[in-house]
Amino acid sequence: MSTALDAAMIAAHAAHDQGALIRLYTQAANEANAIDAACFYLTHAYVFALEAGAPEAPALHARLKEHGREA
Amino acid sequence: MTTQQTDLSGVRTTVDKANGLPNAHYIDEAVFQEEKHALLFSQWAGLAVAADVPAPGDAKPIEFLGMPLLLLRDNDGEVRVFQNICRHRGMILVEEPRKIEGAIRCPYHSWCYSTKGKLVSTPHVGGPGHNTHDSIDRDTLGLNEVRSHIWRDVVWINVSGDAPAFEEVHADLLQRWSDFEKPLYHGGADSRFQLGVKTNWKLAVENYCESYHLPWVHPGLNSYSRLEDHYHIENPGQFSGQGTMVYRQLKGKAGNVFPDFDGVGDKWDEQAEYIAVYPNVLLGVHRDHSYAILLEAKSTEETLEHVHLYYSVPDTDAHLRAKNSALWKDVFEEDIFVVEGMQKGRHVPGFDGGRFSPVMDSPTHCFHDWVADKVLSHRAQTQAQAQAAE
Repeated sequence: MSTALDAAMIAAHAAHDQGALIRLYTQAANEANAIDAACFYLTHAYVFALEAGAPEAPALHARLKEHGREA
Repeated sequence: MTTQQTDLSGVRTTVDKANGLPNAHYIDEAVFQEEKHALLFSQWAGLAVAADVPAPGDAKPIEFLGMPLLLLRDNDGEVRVFQNICRHRGMILVEEPRKIEGAIRCPYHSWCYSTKGKLVSTPHVGGPGHNTHDSIDRDTLGLNEVRSHIWRDVVWINVSGDAPAFEEVHADLLQRWSDFEKPLYHGGADSRFQLGVKTNWKLAVENYCESYHLPWVHPGLNSYSRLEDHYHIENPGQFSGQGTMVYRQLKGKAGNVFPDFDGVGDKWDEQAEYIAVYPNVLLGVHRDHSYAILLEAKSTEETLEHVHLYYSVPDTDAHLRAKNSALWKDVFEEDIFVVEGMQKGRHVPGFDGGRFSPVMDSPTHCFHDWVADKVLSHRAQTQAQAQAAE
């Protein structure tokens, strides 16, 4: 993960900015080189999307399920 | 704290011979804990009002006798009560009243629950990025729901989960007040207030039950509502209270009044009733408004009274509404010195619980008899369980 992305995530956490958290963790998943790492970040994006009732949740769930990581 | 069970034989007789409940039922922590189970957890107790969570997703954490609960209106609009803890590590889920936009996320490990209590996500439960595990059956790990029922906007809960259905327990009261089975609307922020009282919650019930004190404690009522205009309401085992035959509607400067509950009937033109629904909810009904008082037992000697006023339509005259709230607040405040004074009186060793007026105090005795019956049943059940375990 780039330093800039890491810093943006920390700032989003500090600001409780759910929209940014969903976007940044999805970005981290997309940029990850390994499936385990990608699913780790996707999980976070999905959880924040669930909490926020965000429209991204179904697609994030589908990606995790595709990899056998979500029910 | 007492180590012996209280003697309730003096309570369980007719009002002309009975004594009131022994002192320990008002000042002893052990008896308070016993009554917590016998009178509050195992019955249908008032927790809150549905108006506390007016919109889908509204969540309000409430502590009920030390138990953290979550009052929640789910996404379909149904009011539910859950234990306010995660099924993972027992962490408190919601600390402050707020809107649940999507799911309830535990702040500890982020297990997520729907507003209906279903466990919908268990992040990393099978290792990093693995969100399922064969041993974690989400269908059996939803939030623990507390049995609840809404009536007259009051959220009644049965913590033990084994009481007969609310409609069964209170069939007589539902029938008695069937004329008032109409839509009712909370008056809003100006129609809710709280009164902190240094008394055991039962004394607030007892004072509410009877009209005997009215001419002395509420002299303002004497001009139009004399003692002889009142009647007792007694339904042993369920509720007691009082009624009046001379209710007068509150009027604004222009002579305006609150609109009646639709089709409430001529019977209620000048009649109103005030009933203590055991254990801890005090209700009042009138042709044009009603109220609910929920008694929150904070401790043996502290009670918080939550008062809510309701009307027949969503929009009522704000000035008249404020006047009505002030009127009732004055009346309820007039009762504070009485319930606090009786509480202090329970610290006199050897007080025998007092003697009742056989004519005027029977609604209060009716409540005491219910308390004694439930406490004795609870003791018998506890003893049977202990014997079975041996």
